[in-house]
Amino acid sequence: MSSHQNDLRLPNSRRSFLQGLGGGFGSLAWSVLQQSAISDDLKSHRRIGDIDPLRPLAQRLPHFAPKAKSVIFLFLVGGPSQIDTFDYKPSLNDLADKPVPKSIRAAVEATRFANVFHGCEDKILRSPYAFQQYGQNGTWVSELMPHFAKHVDDVCFIHSMQADSNNHAPASYQLHTGDVRAGKASLGSWVTYGLGSENENLPGYVVLFDAGPLGGAGNYSNGFLPPAFQCTRFRDIGEPVPNLTPNKAFVEGQRQSLDLLADLNREHQSKLPGFLELDARIASYELAYRMQSAALDVGRFEEEPQHVHSLYGLDHKDKRTQSFARKCLLARRLVERGVRFVQLYDMPDKDGWDAHSKLTENHTPRARWTDQPVAALLADLKRTGLLDSTLVIWASEFGRTPMVQGNSGRQHNAAGFTIWLAGGGIKPGIHVGATDEIGLMATERPIQFRDLHATILSALGISYEELSYSVNGRDERLTGVEGTASPLKDIFV
Amino acid sequence: MGTKTLWISVFLFSVFIPFECFYTHCALAQVESHEDREPIGDALSDPKNPIHVLFEGQRLALWSLRPIQKPTIPTVKNSEWVWNSIDSFLLADWEKQNAVPFPDTEPSPWLRRAANSLVGLPLRFEDSDAFLADPTLEHFSNEVDRWLASPEYGEHWARMWLDAVRYSDSNGFDWDEFRPKAWLFRDYVVRAWNQNLPYDQFLTEQLAGDELLAGQPTTEREQQMLIATGYLRLGPYDNAAKLFNEQDRARVEVLSDLTETTASAMLGLTMSCCRCHDHKTDPLSHADHYRFRAFFAACSFADDKSLELAHDQLAIQEHNTKINAAVDTANADLQQWTEQWLALLHIERDTTPPSKSKKNKSNALARLRVALQEEQKTELANYEEQIKTLKAQIRKPNVGLLMTDSKESIDKIAVLFQGDHRAPREEVNPGFPSVLFPNEPAMEKPVSSTTTGRRLTLARWIVARENPWTARVIVNRLWQMHFGIGIVETPNDFGWTGSVPSNMDLLDHLASELIESGWSLKHLQKLIVTSHAFRQKALPMGTKLYDPAEREYRSCRIGLKRLKAEELRDAILMVAEQLQHRAGGPPIWPNLSDDILQANPAVLDDNETKTKGWYPSAPHLQTARSVYLVQKRTLRLPWMETFDLPENTVSCPKRDTSIVAPQALALMNGELNVAASQSIANRIKTTAPHSTTSQIDLLFQAILARNPSVEERSKAESFLVNREMAELANVLLNSNEFVFVN
Repeated sequence: MSSHQNDLRLPNSRRSFLQGLGGGFGSLAWSVLQQSAISDDLKSHRRIGDIDPLRPLAQRLPHFAPKAKSVIFLFLVGGPSQIDTFDYKPSLNDLADKPVPKSIRAAVEATRFANVFHGCEDKILRSPYAFQQYGQNGTWVSELMPHFAKHVDDVCFIHSMQADSNNHAPASYQLHTGDVRAGKASLGSWVTYGLGSENENLPGYVVLFDAGPLGGAGNYSNGFLPPAFQCTRFRDIGEPVPNLTPNKAFVEGQRQSLDLLADLNREHQSKLPGFLELDARIASYELAYRMQSAALDVGRFEEEPQHVHSLYGLDHKDKRTQSFARKCLLARRLVERGVRFVQLYDMPDKDGWDAHSKLTENHTPRARWTDQPVAALLADLKRTGLLDSTLVIWASEFGRTPMVQGNSGRQHNAAGFTIWLAGGGIKPGIHVGATDEIGLMATERPIQFRDLHATILSALGISYEELSYSVNGRDERLTGVEGTASPLKDIFV
Repeated sequence: MGTKTLWISVFLFSVFIPFECFYTHCALAQVESHEDREPIGDALSDPKNPIHVLFEGQRLALWSLRPIQKPTIPTVKNSEWVWNSIDSFLLADWEKQNAVPFPDTEPSPWLRRAANSLVGLPLRFEDSDAFLADPTLEHFSNEVDRWLASPEYGEHWARMWLDAVRYSDSNGFDWDEFRPKAWLFRDYVVRAWNQNLPYDQFLTEQLAGDELLAGQPTTEREQQMLIATGYLRLGPYDNAAKLFNEQDRARVEVLSDLTETTASAMLGLTMSCCRCHDHKTDPLSHADHYRFRAFFAACSFADDKSLELAHDQLAIQEHNTKINAAVDTANADLQQWTEQWLALLHIERDTTPPSKSKKNKSNALARLRVALQEEQKTELANYEEQIKTLKAQIRKPNVGLLMTDSKESIDKIAVLFQGDHRAPREEVNPGFPSVLFPNEPAMEKPVSSTTTGRRLTLARWIVARENPWTARVIVNRLWQMHFGIGIVETPNDFGWTGSVPSNMDLLDHLASELIESGWSLKHLQKLIVTSHAFRQKALPMGTKLYDPAEREYRSCRIGLKRLKAEELRDAILMVAEQLQHRAGGPPIWPNLSDDILQANPAVLDDNETKTKGWYPSAPHLQTARSVYLVQKRTLRLPWMETFDLPENTVSCPKRDTSIVAPQALALMNGELNVAASQSIANRIKTTAPHSTTSQIDLLFQAILARNPSVEERSKAESFLVNREMAELANVLLNSNEFVFVN
């Protein structure tokens, strides 16, 4: 991909970004990106949307030269607080225990986010965490994330994310699928539907979790997309995928059984010439056989040197850190083998970061469980060179209010929260957007999930307006049928 | 209600209004009720129709808008090929194109198809064997009758309808609460198909069963009509929305679900496409979506409504009155006894009357308890026990998952700008799609006095003879289930972006036949399955084949059918003789491992009302037919999902079929197959303990409903030299022959 980087230069000043918007989708720089050369090794592939029924995961030709080949989406379930992590608001100290300033309240109440005041007190809770500046740009990070803080120069922060619901499942569905209602296709399904995968011996779209996200399967479902693009859950301990190994009584004779099966199937097929579905099913058994060893191979952490184990925290004294560390390492081993999309949930229990009361009792341990593994993942991807072609996203369904709820807790906040992106052609060390002075609502350049989706698809060389699937007479798109999404063109290198 | 403006004048003004209001003028593509107004005709004949104006006379040549007209049965050259009217329509069309019917399939796949498409189960060797001895149409037809009359028929066809109406046993969203009474609706559907309930009645009951009853149900049939309204309750529901002041969103989602599901499942109309703006391709306006939605505006959950028959309710009431009286007497006795002992033991009475202050009462009583001798303690306990026993006899009526109207709170339905409930524009009244029915309908007067008649009005229109969609949509669904591909390949979309019918006359013939038969689905299915077309061999997908005279072969069956998730699981259980037959009831919860249960964290948050957790059913129930398995929204059964169980939040028009490696892993290594293989092997070894050859024959008979060929037998024998019978059984359960119907 590196040979094409010069073709992919995008406008990077705010001014040219706005000019780009003014010029509509066809702005010059953007069309350069879209028309830029696609490497020759991809040209033999089928086009996006042209699915080979025999090989649904075969690689497909992107719309334009991609920056990223794979995605690792770190999903921090339940809404970590932006104002206690990455969105430093010193005025919270002065305003502590006071009501929300009238001007801010009025500004929020005039928007669709008025319900953010529902269920919490009109009283500011200061951040219990100390902040410090890191990196070349002096990025503020709280003491919750000391390991990650060393990598702030590698990531792009978006401080002005907004969601359409202040409740977990709808907001989470929206972040995964673009719609607050369940039933749509998730990002991972869209991406594998579009591009296929680089390793057909492994699933193209893998999810990793202890407990799943709030709202369950509706988040990572293939929805209306063909089942070939559904996710496969990998476990980070024990057998990686259910049914991967034969029953004890059958294990010894597996090869013999498969040979007899193939024999009988060929005999059956000879009476039904021309039916490709029979070929497909015969092939699926050979693939399954190969997948057994490929999937087992991914989980062989013992191949990794000790320093890698320590880097991620596989030997951490806290078991939950170990568990998240294994998932992060597994994510790297998956993308290294060509898996297209890894969705990784930080959900060791039923609550996630949902700190309705006692913020510190919730956030402090959760930060400990995730901080070192996430930092290690960034360091390791960088070390192995994979970061250039892997887009890493750290996000949640929403953030939390500066207002207090219950006993020193915080309520959900869909009006303005922070996420970050790294690698995969994203400009490192930058900050996009901002919230008001108490970190309640995005006031500078509010970004919607559809814009994030458009950005992710663009990084992968997919035109978000062209990637569609016809459902009941309607061309569904990840970024919605309204056509109101716009990628963050200025955050690409 | 609403703006009483002439749509036409506003339309003219709207030319000058800014972009954001663009949708507003489209919203006015409707006719307001006005007594003096001349009614407007359909858009095909009346240029004043708002849809005609809105789309400038375009979009109206859509095939599905044409009234269903009964076509005459065409004459064909090769009349010998024709078994019934269906064949005449097909052959006439093919002859016109100089094409010929693809030859017949062998008797045994022919029979297997019928078993698969009528009851969703594999053929038994005995049936296959008997049929091969006499493979006539008459024999075939008898088998068809037998299957149509069997209870398995309803179980199989219910699944199709449950797909279409997004059936689920849970709410979805964060907590995904179990709906303990949703299964009543599932059983209603099974029963309706088994009893061949006329399809018009079937739809009417689901939309407005409650509106058909004067009061409490007096017969089981009437009870079923109430249960049928569960249809209106099946959509996802965000029960947590009120915590975040988002209940308006949740309500609007319920109403759009009802609009879109009803339009998709019953009419083949894509109402979801005009929720945010005018339809992009079909003659449906933005306002049409909301006019349709307004039929549901009074909908109100009725989960506390008694389902008991009237005389049972009376009996319950009488019984409870009697019990309550007895409780009162017992309480009075206890009171008297207490007073007496309080006085005897000089315990100070409560300063405030006990009825107003429980705390004081309990203080006095507590002191009394301490002061009592053993003998009196027993006496007190007896009094209390007596009251407890009486109270336990209070009978609670059975309730369901029901919907009815609340006349007091009828939502005002407004056109929503970009579908956003926070951006309402002008209000609308209930109305059918303006393209054909622009005038405001006269409301039906429901039998029920507590409902508005809105849903009944909608139902009566949906099943009216002149509705061009309803009959076509259902006959197409039946055809798709029997042949794999519908006459219209997009069963939920009869609009411009959907497919056109491959044989319009055939579709209309079937639709007319359905209506004339009194909407008898079994009648229609018998006709389909006993057609010659049903016996034709399948053509491979994407290939053209020609006869020696270079005429193209045609068949209604394209490609082979991989068994659906339910059919495959049921087939494995049936050949293993493990399939349980049951007469409905609460869903069966499979055993799932803890790490799978965590897929929705709500399961870990199990509650007292037992709606959030996972409650595995007893082992002997685990092998029930798949239609009875619990259908949660956020936690899907992994095995079923691997075999393409569809998303159950929106209407599913057609099952996807994937062929992927995880399916091979599930069938090779999964517990279901291992247990089934071992069970079959043990059974066979017991039946024929001494002969491997007989065992092999029995195994092929049990799994593939046929004897092995000589070659297969010898291959099996060599396999068994160092492998077990169970492994051979598993090979056959994995075979393409078992998994595909051809």
